[in-house]
Amino acid sequence: MVVKVKNVVKRYDEKIALDHFNMEVREGEILGLLGPNGCGKTTAINCILSLLKFDKGEVQVFGRKMTPNSYDMKRQIGLVPQEVSVFENLTVKENIDYFCGLYIDDKNTRKKYAEEAIEFVGLKDYVKFYPKKLSGGLKRRLNIACGIVHKPKLIFLDEPTVAVDAQSRNFILEGIKKLNQEGSTIIYTTHYLEEAEMLCSRIVIMDNGKDIASGTIEELKAMITTSEKIVIRFINIEDEVINAMYRIPHVIDIERNGEDFIIKFENGINNLSNLLNFIAEHNLTYIKLYSQLPTLNDVFLELTGKELRD
Amino acid sequence: MNIIRNCIYQGKNLFRDFSFLFWAMLYPIIIAFFFNLAFSGMMNRNFEDIQVGIEEDNNVLPILEEIDFVKIHRITEDEIEEKLENDEIDAFIDGDLNLTVKKSGINQTIIKEVVEQIKQTVKLNRPIDGSEFSVRYVADKNQESNSIVIIFYSLIAMVSTYGVFAGIETASLMQANLSNIGLRINATPLKKQNFLIAGVIVSLLLNLLANTGLLLFINYVLKIHLFTNITYSLIFILLGNLLGVILGIFIGVSNKKSANVKTAIAISTTLFLSFLSGMMGPWIKAMVEKYVPFLSRINPISVITNNLYRVNLLGSTKSVGEGIAVLLIYSMVLLIGSYVFLRRKSYDSI
Repeated sequence: MVVKVKNVVKRYDEKIALDHFNMEVREGEILGLLGPNGCGKTTAINCILSLLKFDKGEVQVFGRKMTPNSYDMKRQIGLVPQEVSVFENLTVKENIDYFCGLYIDDKNTRKKYAEEAIEFVGLKDYVKFYPKKLSGGLKRRLNIACGIVHKPKLIFLDEPTVAVDAQSRNFILEGIKKLNQEGSTIIYTTHYLEEAEMLCSRIVIMDNGKDIASGTIEELKAMITTSEKIVIRFINIEDEVINAMYRIPHVIDIERNGEDFIIKFENGINNLSNLLNFIAEHNLTYIKLYSQLPTLNDVFLELTGKELRD
Repeated sequence: MNIIRNCIYQGKNLFRDFSFLFWAMLYPIIIAFFFNLAFSGMMNRNFEDIQVGIEEDNNVLPILEEIDFVKIHRITEDEIEEKLENDEIDAFIDGDLNLTVKKSGINQTIIKEVVEQIKQTVKLNRPIDGSEFSVRYVADKNQESNSIVIIFYSLIAMVSTYGVFAGIETASLMQANLSNIGLRINATPLKKQNFLIAGVIVSLLLNLLANTGLLLFINYVLKIHLFTNITYSLIFILLGNLLGVILGIFIGVSNKKSANVKTAIAISTTLFLSFLSGMMGPWIKAMVEKYVPFLSRINPISVITNNLYRVNLLGSTKSVGEGIAVLLIYSMVLLIGSYVFLRRKSYDSI
């Protein structure tokens, strides 16, 4: 286990930021820490890195207790903070070289790593730029480069795609996959569902400082009762017919979303076929119909009673 | 990461910071320029001989006669009041070497220093004739020297403490609860003390560079020649720099106010202390010394101002020891205070 967090409690006066929080990160995976803004994701990272004191619990990194003086462990860790954290009066190249130098003593290795990091984040044309001259997306890339330049074994990426354009976002996500393929274990916090689904091998869902569920995406989806959703738009349908739909096998709920109906099915087979039979029996006409597998939002909704919207 | 590498990058970061460049480098030069503009009329008054009244039988009469900027008036005890009242003499020296004056000013201060030196020589049982009274109380008779130069000494004292800005910046960069970079740096294997040492070195060097700029401007552009005792002047400017940087670190680490608030605290503190030390006019300094002389001895900028004034203008080094001690004590106290805040490794909140 690369990181093990056990029953960590962190309070800010009366407010509880982490409430008996647990998390395990395995070597070589991308673990997504998914939850709404303010749920405690950044606090969890800061506690793991021993930047924040916590009231209770235990944190182990690489099998050892993490302390502020664990310099040898820090050498193997990279942090990409949520806020862009670079020197405003150093150029792109100087920033990357400075942070690389905090980990790597050998001059030639440092130079090689800095060049690779610049290439990796696509900032080759901007090496002499000061951060204030960069766009939001490019600043984010610089922020990432400063955190990964030393090729760490374990990387914390705290919402690295917040407020970036689509192009930079894809660039960043592809880069993270590449880092993982090169052997880094990654802890990735986000409140973007599709990023977590696309990127993470396992996910810990957080809400109000608690880990409310964890597992692979399939494991998480298996935790909820809804296994399939069918969205349909009818031309004229009466309430009686809608109520009759509850008699279709495995239907557990029907929601109206504007002109669309979302019919939810629990585990079962032939759900679409059963629905089509019902439509034929009642001579109904529809103009739209498609089937959806449950999303992480459904998981979050069922587990917390609220939606985690992008 | 070695300290030198940290110094280079911290130095680049600080030197390219506009606010540092303005406050440490440009602002003092602008102030000096306007002071010169405002006071140039007074500055251009040539130094005149000091008129000293003394009785014919006073033992120190031959000594005073040897000092070329002292003009002796042989008078009787009955004439003292009248001569002082009519400004015919600046001071009267009696047989016990007590000084009688009617007002305070640079002439009175200089003659007081001369008498003090004679008294010390007598106490040490050294022959008065062997004393070195040719000491240059004033650099040159043609030196544009008067009490207005106090303003410039006070300005130099103030800007010597302007390492306070660099100190604040260093403190902010190394604390995870004060800046984003601080958070990142605390997650790296860089030891805090290495960052701090590099920050102090860089702050001192850059502020000394800024001070040099100001001194060159005063000397070569404004053509005001303030320094005759380079060694002690450098010591006090260096100590002012050290105190400023440590004060900045203390202001930086002791609270979670924004960078702007901290800069405002630094500016108002140094400006107020400079005001008391006579930067806005020597009469303020005279008032402080008359009514609350203790304040003048503990105000670090006054300490620097007074000593620069004494060692350069009066040629007196008698308060140098006390001045150095006061500045070192302040630095030590602030350093210990800063350490208390800096030693914590994890934070309650970020």
